Amino acid sequence: VSHHDVVVIGTGLAGLSAAVRLAEGGARVLVLAKGVGATHLSAGTIDVLGYAPERVEHPGEALARLGDGHPYGLVGAAAVAASVEWFKALVADGSLGPYAYHGGLDENLLLSTALGVPRPSAVVPETMRGGDLRRDAPLLVVGFRGLKDFHPALLAEMLRRTGRTARAVELDLVPEDRADVNSLGYARAFDDPSFRAEVTAQLLGRLRVDERVGFPAVLGIADPHGAWSDLERRLARPVFEVPTLPPSVPGMRLFAILRDALRRAGGRLILNAVVTGAEREEARVSAVRVRVGLREERRGCDWVVLASGGFASGGLELDSRWTARETALGLPVAGVPAPGEERFAPGYLDDHPIARAGVAVGSDLRPEGHENVLVAGATLAGAEPWREKSGDGISLATGHRAAELVLAGARSLAAAG
Amino acid sequence: VPNLQAEVLVIGGGATGTGVAWDAALRGFDVLLVERADLAEGTSGRFHGLLHSGGRYVVKDPVAAKECVAENAILRRVIPDCIEDTGGLFVTTPDDDPAYGDRFLEACRACELPAEEIDVAEALRSEPRLNPGIRRAFTVPDASIDGWKTVWALARGASAHGARVLPYHRVIGLHRDGDAVAGARLRNELTGEELDVEAGFTLNATGAWAAQLARMGGIEDVDVVPGKGIMIAMNHRLVNTVINRCTMPADGDILVPIRTVSVIGTTDIRAADPDEIPVTQAEVDQMLDDGERLVPGFREARALRVWAGVRPLFQDARVGEVKETRDVSRSHAVVDHRERDGVEGLLTMSGGKLTTLRLMAQDIVDAMCAQLGTDRPCRTREIRPLGDEESQPYRLGSRLSRREATLQEEQIVCECELIGRRRLEEAMRRRGTANLDDIRRSLRLGMGPCQGGFCIYRATGILHGIGDLDGAQAAASLRGFLEERWKGVWPILYGDQLRQARLDDWIFQGLLDVEHLPDEQGQPA
Repeated sequence: VSHHDVVVIGTGLAGLSAAVRLAEGGARVLVLAKGVGATHLSAGTIDVLGYAPERVEHPGEALARLGDGHPYGLVGAAAVAASVEWFKALVADGSLGPYAYHGGLDENLLLSTALGVPRPSAVVPETMRGGDLRRDAPLLVVGFRGLKDFHPALLAEMLRRTGRTARAVELDLVPEDRADVNSLGYARAFDDPSFRAEVTAQLLGRLRVDERVGFPAVLGIADPHGAWSDLERRLARPVFEVPTLPPSVPGMRLFAILRDALRRAGGRLILNAVVTGAEREEARVSAVRVRVGLREERRGCDWVVLASGGFASGGLELDSRWTARETALGLPVAGVPAPGEERFAPGYLDDHPIARAGVAVGSDLRPEGHENVLVAGATLAGAEPWREKSGDGISLATGHRAAELVLAGARSLAAAG
Repeated sequence: VPNLQAEVLVIGGGATGTGVAWDAALRGFDVLLVERADLAEGTSGRFHGLLHSGGRYVVKDPVAAKECVAENAILRRVIPDCIEDTGGLFVTTPDDDPAYGDRFLEACRACELPAEEIDVAEALRSEPRLNPGIRRAFTVPDASIDGWKTVWALARGASAHGARVLPYHRVIGLHRDGDAVAGARLRNELTGEELDVEAGFTLNATGAWAAQLARMGGIEDVDVVPGKGIMIAMNHRLVNTVINRCTMPADGDILVPIRTVSVIGTTDIRAADPDEIPVTQAEVDQMLDDGERLVPGFREARALRVWAGVRPLFQDARVGEVKETRDVSRSHAVVDHRERDGVEGLLTMSGGKLTTLRLMAQDIVDAMCAQLGTDRPCRTREIRPLGDEESQPYRLGSRLSRREATLQEEQIVCECELIGRRRLEEAMRRRGTANLDDIRRSLRLGMGPCQGGFCIYRATGILHGIGDLDGAQAAASLRGFLEERWKGVWPILYGDQLRQARLDDWIFQGLLDVEHLPDEQGQPA
């Protein structure tokens, strides 16, 4: 049985943040994940807290007011701030550098969604910053008829409805002459300077003075900084990206940056590895059982960081008899209404009784009775990430915090030993 | 108030109403059909999709069974494209009395229903997911039928013969001219505009709403009781043959493979109001347990959507008295308001079921002809509403085989149901609707496993791009779709479908933030 200092379960933002930080701190880390994580679905921004429940302008202040029932309440505002600074430095130094993230906890930017709704985000890629709707500059939103996951005219009209000056242009450029290309196909095309030249040629005569130009978030996957800054130079104005439906190109960039950082720091990542259970010695997990392809393995470990996600990612499951389970280690799930009780409310946007279900932990991120298991990200109980616009921030902060706690715990064990 | 004239006003745009319009138009009447919402938005779009062989009724209601035997064969001929010839099985589960099978077979013979007992082993070979504990199995000519397609085929056939079809026109009053009903006041539900129809004859084909409508004409106590049934669509064809329990009809004893799903049904609970038919978690639990009896592991399979429909159950003692010379089937009856209430120019269709829609239409139009003193024979047994255009029986895979040739040449808007962009744009133009839920019923857009997670934003963008759908309408339509969808998914959210729903939340709430779409005044919600 191979032995690792830490086994991290899950390869979303929480798992990778924990793993990278642990590897940086000198731990021998193994990341086990069923597949790529939720990064590929996310907007690629770090939304820390957008609604509580009113729209939040200063996320740092607002999250400090959340109680112990919320993951932010458990880790505290200082830990959130530390994770954000760590993350920005990591990305700027990362494999896609100088592609970088900007922002912090002082104030939220307002970025348009693909539906033209202003969404509060705290820390965003440089390629999105120019779309901040708190600024008044008029917007031209560019789309592609071949890209069905982004509709610029709809977006622009929704922005106009909230008093902004916005209009749309749809270009008929299709990479490789294919009829149905997703965002990744366009991103690969934007990595190519000749495609950017074509886009520029079609746009130049149609721009108005003072207009900034928004694109779907497909401006390059191999070299996004190069593609984006090249377009800004060619169009001689601010250019920004707006997230599309999945697959998320900014999310893929984020995944690549974190994965590369993990490898550089000596960590290992195995995909298609499903953790099916744990071996325990009293209150400690001594090994995890894992199925890699058709092979069953055991991996010994001193610590486990569980970051396998919530119901969306399969980290939590609910059966038809209303029994919930955490799928990797079988930890108890809190916040699930008892059989017979109301599970969901009848309106889609109502408050649903099950919305905050997850694994309950203390401020040390450990579930009761588990000495060497820490939980991070969407597996945690107490948050409603999509409605709060808090999922990325929670994953980053709890992942980073879990790593710090493990490193500190390892140090104190070493000192004691 | 603008005026419309028609010889025959048909009220109700379900299978009954469109069937009546088709029949009357074929006989040369000038027909106007009005429906308060979209066609097939009521009971006809909310049933299990079973084209009865009659097997379900042979023991309990042989008259209804014989009607099913005959009508099943006729519908296969006239609307083949709406029907998939799945065949059906009646199976004796471990909870059922094997002796019932003998009564069943005997009753089938009496009704001339071609049923045959087969080896249990053979039944299990053809349907390997069936409960291996079944003790007897009988084949019958059940089939599955697409309610939406059927209604549109009838409506299009009627239109081709001169009928006018007006969805989203609600009857808000019946006009009386002395003892006669002389037409109706309508309200266009999309514009709010009101208009009057002058009609020589009015046919009430509103199903479970028949009593409400009759009351508008001053006719009380038409006793149509709405009977609620719930159904659950499972994500796969758990079976490829219609499966019935071989027992007296009960709850949750039919499993129908239709299109890419299978539907389990149903319950029968009296509803006070046909517009108030919520699904409860207890009903869902009951239905899942019933499914488990037919197909072990049913609870682990993925449920897509649950809905309720209302049957029109007729219970009028007076009809029996005035119509004792006619062979009135228990399954449906024409309420003769001249005989019963002294009101001319109005007939009500009560009871009935989709399988016998053609016969129901024939009976009520015959009754109207008799009152009008005209002899125009029914022709719906022979003539196809869509002519030769859709003359092939439906088979699973036909959509894929149609799409396959051009799969690389066109954008696919809904991957689950293989709907291309051209087809979507055509449907939007043809139907002239801004309502995504109408498009859903036309094309099955958003009916697949992801329940609109990806395609609904796309469809909204495309609809906005090609039409005169403005931002406010786009927002309203998108939100309306999500709210409507939620009603059908929240009671079955568990397992993989809960996971899917969370992904959809991720998209709609996380990425798009529909919650804060500007409202009609342009204010952020």
